[in-house]
Amino acid sequence: MATNRWVATGNYFTSYKDEQRIFLTHFDRLIFCCMLVLVFAWPLFISVSDRTLLVIDNILIAIVAILGLNLLTGFAGLISIGHAAFVGVGAYTLASFSHLLGDRHILITHAWPLMILISGGVGAGFGALVGLPAFRLKHLYLAIATLSFQMIFEWVINFMKFFNQGQTIFVGRVFWFTGKIARKQHYQFWYYVILVVVVIAGFAVRNLLRTRYGRCLVAVRDNDRAADAMGMSPGLTKVYAFALAGFFAGVAGALHAYLYRGVGFESFTLHHSITYLAMAIVGGLGTLVGSFFGPIAIYMLDLLVENLAEYVGHLLPAVMNLSTALRPLTFGLVIVLFLMFEPRGIANWWRIARTYFKLWPFRY
Amino acid sequence: MKTKKALFIHVGLALLLILAFGAQAQAGNTYKLGLSLAITGPTSDAGNPYSKGVEDYIKYVNDEKVLGDDKVECFIRDDQYKTDITKRNFEDYLDMGIVLYLNYSTGSTLGLKRDFEEEQIPVIPASFHAGNLVDSHYIFLPIASYSSQMVTLAEYVVANHKGDTPKVAMFIHPSAFGRGPVEDAKKAVKAGLKMDIVEVVEHGKDLDNTATLKRLLNKKVQYVICHTVQSPVATLLKDAQRLGIAAKTFGEKGKITFLGAHYTGGNDLIALAGSAAENYFWTTSYTLTSVKGEGTDFQLALAKKYGRDEKAANSHNYTNGIMVAQVAVEAIKRAKADGKEITRKSLYEELLAMHGDRSYDPKTTVAPVTYSETDKEGVDKLQIYRVDGGTWKAVGEPIESVFMKKIK
Amino acid sequence: MSYFFQLVVSGIVVGSIYALSALGFVLIYKSSRVLNIAHGQIIAAGAFITYALTVWAGIPIYISFILSLIITFFLAMGVERIFLRRLIGEPIISVIMVTIGLMSIIDGLVYLTPFGTENFSFPEFLPAHPLTVYGVSISWTQMVGVIITAIMIGGFSWFFTKSTLGISMRAVSDDQLASMSVGISIPRVFGLAWATAGLSAAAAGSIIGNITGLNFDTLHAFGIAVFPVVILGGLDSIVGAVVAGIIMGLIQQFAAGYLDGNWGLNGTANVLPYIILLIILLFKPHGLFGTHEIERV
Repeated sequence: MATNRWVATGNYFTSYKDEQRIFLTHFDRLIFCCMLVLVFAWPLFISVSDRTLLVIDNILIAIVAILGLNLLTGFAGLISIGHAAFVGVGAYTLASFSHLLGDRHILITHAWPLMILISGGVGAGFGALVGLPAFRLKHLYLAIATLSFQMIFEWVINFMKFFNQGQTIFVGRVFWFTGKIARKQHYQFWYYVILVVVVIAGFAVRNLLRTRYGRCLVAVRDNDRAADAMGMSPGLTKVYAFALAGFFAGVAGALHAYLYRGVGFESFTLHHSITYLAMAIVGGLGTLVGSFFGPIAIYMLDLLVENLAEYVGHLLPAVMNLSTALRPLTFGLVIVLFLMFEPRGIANWWRIARTYFKLWPFRY
Repeated sequence: MKTKKALFIHVGLALLLILAFGAQAQAGNTYKLGLSLAITGPTSDAGNPYSKGVEDYIKYVNDEKVLGDDKVECFIRDDQYKTDITKRNFEDYLDMGIVLYLNYSTGSTLGLKRDFEEEQIPVIPASFHAGNLVDSHYIFLPIASYSSQMVTLAEYVVANHKGDTPKVAMFIHPSAFGRGPVEDAKKAVKAGLKMDIVEVVEHGKDLDNTATLKRLLNKKVQYVICHTVQSPVATLLKDAQRLGIAAKTFGEKGKITFLGAHYTGGNDLIALAGSAAENYFWTTSYTLTSVKGEGTDFQLALAKKYGRDEKAANSHNYTNGIMVAQVAVEAIKRAKADGKEITRKSLYEELLAMHGDRSYDPKTTVAPVTYSETDKEGVDKLQIYRVDGGTWKAVGEPIESVFMKKIK
Repeated sequence: MSYFFQLVVSGIVVGSIYALSALGFVLIYKSSRVLNIAHGQIIAAGAFITYALTVWAGIPIYISFILSLIITFFLAMGVERIFLRRLIGEPIISVIMVTIGLMSIIDGLVYLTPFGTENFSFPEFLPAHPLTVYGVSISWTQMVGVIITAIMIGGFSWFFTKSTLGISMRAVSDDQLASMSVGISIPRVFGLAWATAGLSAAAAGSIIGNITGLNFDTLHAFGIAVFPVVILGGLDSIVGAVVAGIIMGLIQQFAAGYLDGNWGLNGTANVLPYIILLIILLFKPHGLFGTHEIERV
């Protein structure tokens, strides 16, 4: 054990337990706590527009979903082209309650934390169900099985009267101890709620990876036959990876439903599934911080390009096509460039930056 | 690579020029409108000319000083047909202080309905879904709803069919957008419209509709009323032509006559289906450039003025865009004339007052726009068009549905 | 009974177009183990190139069709060279995501042209009246489509079994290391695989474009729609693509013909392939004709 627990310039682990610490140094913990205070406190001092808050809320919801997807694709190595459908399952769980009980039923407006958990649970159930083929399928075949789920989900939502055939099912405004959350406070209120969820989910994932269940995931990803020989059950591990991912996605879906005060199928299409995958890749597959960076980067890029496109469109109306083409072009280029030049994602830059500061004033 | 570089340099130069000249001060007020629509993604073939229509008319208003010294600024943003982005755009527009909002898709109009209510902002969507008006006060459809269109087509079939009760099938989009009007058509039949709805077909991404068409023919269906977008209708028409079961004239015995609502038609359909589009009956409330008139002359002049290509200039979606901008500007103009401050509330009141001798004829539609507390469908009359020799020809005078009033 | 036979014939026609589209996936997967999600976009691009050559450049359609095949051949080869060459040996998820990125890039490029948002249709060059035998009808367009598909598939089968190049491609798919050691250039084989896939995509695109008209959304959606076919047949089997294509075509036609409109069902033709796919995968995890890979620890 190194004597100084504030700075560590290298690897001083003397026991396995040491290596498994959540925070390697007190300094890390301090910075983390400062960050936490910062993200909770800033809305009290700076006032921003509803639109900005909506974007931030969206990013946070995407982070919850990506935490799940990263467990599945990054840690367990199972490609899912149907993550948006899992998010949709969560959202539609809430919508079903809303449809059955009425959108202003006390269960939905007052017991919303319970509803979010239930949505997560249903998401996990569907995750396990879709994960079942993992007992037999591998690699691309499994990826396509998740794609099938996405397609079946879209068809069912679009077809069934119960789900309003994909049109918006409204969800009422929720209550807090201070009373009903009005339009003015809506986005800020949900900012805090989702932030709390993100922090809890982040710790949950970090802790999961410290347990044998987490290590199981990685072992199965790296070589499932070998994992089998070591006494793990690859099939079960994969199913529970799907269930976990489904849980996170379900929670994200319920949050999405509350934030938008309604559920419509347009938010859970194949395109969204692909965007989720892109977020996971750009952030860095198989890393915890990547789940945070990915959504931020993709959303920021989207906004940036949107502004740029609008600017170009305003100035040169004749080249309207150029501005409309910008968004898919940049989205595609970012994914491709990342994969070609930084396949480990933004998380790798984070690692390099950290190491740089750790070793300073010596060179990395 | 070289051309790309050259393009960048040109773009850069143009930016500089515009920045240099654009910074002049403006007199008068500026009223802000917002439009969020699908310029890319699904339905962008309709959204693109639509946005051009709105953009050009607003420019025209500013250039020709239709509102005197006052200007109108309309923000236009692409939402890729996604409700999430539409909501973000809407929130942004609210922060920018828009007084009237132009929306696009059915999904987002329904999804944001409650926001419109809470914000009390008048909204004109490009979706004519009758469901938009349920539990809503602030949404104004530009023209007759899809339901009215379908029922009008059905009435047209009943009125012009020779022989016993006509057998009709509906060919619809597999979504609530497609299914909504079917209910109203069924209600109209219950209310006494003499017609058999034999089957409702929801299409997919089919390459071949042989099965469907043969089945309909076996069931003695003579008319298919479509309510979807152009591409599936084009495939259906081509298959019907191939099977030799497409009627050459209305109601030809033993063959099928195809009819369709607003988003199934237009020049896009002819572009996609080619000669198979002949004898397709289509209804909309807009004037078409193939049928000359005051409105179409204005439309073509506008397109020429702002350098639009042939295709956009003749698109009915371009007309659609111009028309909603016309209605918005007219509301502002009237509020000004009445000496009111231009706010969401005053525009809402002006729109509601748009009936009787205050009804507004934008000339780009076949009849005047009328709104009131009970009537939020703008143009009530519909014109039936038919493809004849590769262009749309008007069939008869504009008509108004009788049964829609009965089933309300 | 003629209704039944009509469904069978239509099913086979649609199925063979599916097979041709699925062929592109198979050709790439067979040699380089890449699933090209952007295939739908390449199909659309092929259709647009044929149209541009025919209508804008005024070249007779038969020649422009051939030209379009050649152009797409080299385009696809270029795509492989620029985007995928670097990723040889990377995990599948990276490679899949690159093709997803590629999909977006091609989308963007298409939006730069009029094809992105406007609709077109090919000039009619075949007789409009259908061929009718015993009440079963098939259009000339479909007929030509089936013939082209048959030629292409026959050609590729010959290519893989008889020609040296084809055999070397199969060798690479079997064992990269071993084939390198006998002097096969792996990058060249990968490039060629993409190029031939591009060629088949252009053929598929031109046929589909003739049937549905040219609408970008409709055309590229086809790439996703054909997934069940590819997986059902087995990712690396040409025979599988043909058989699965025809099976799916028949299933869709029968679903549309017998299920839709009864029991309140509708649009089943779209979802049924996926359901059947899931069921079949449970019993045959590598599709009907896919190679069962032997894994070693």
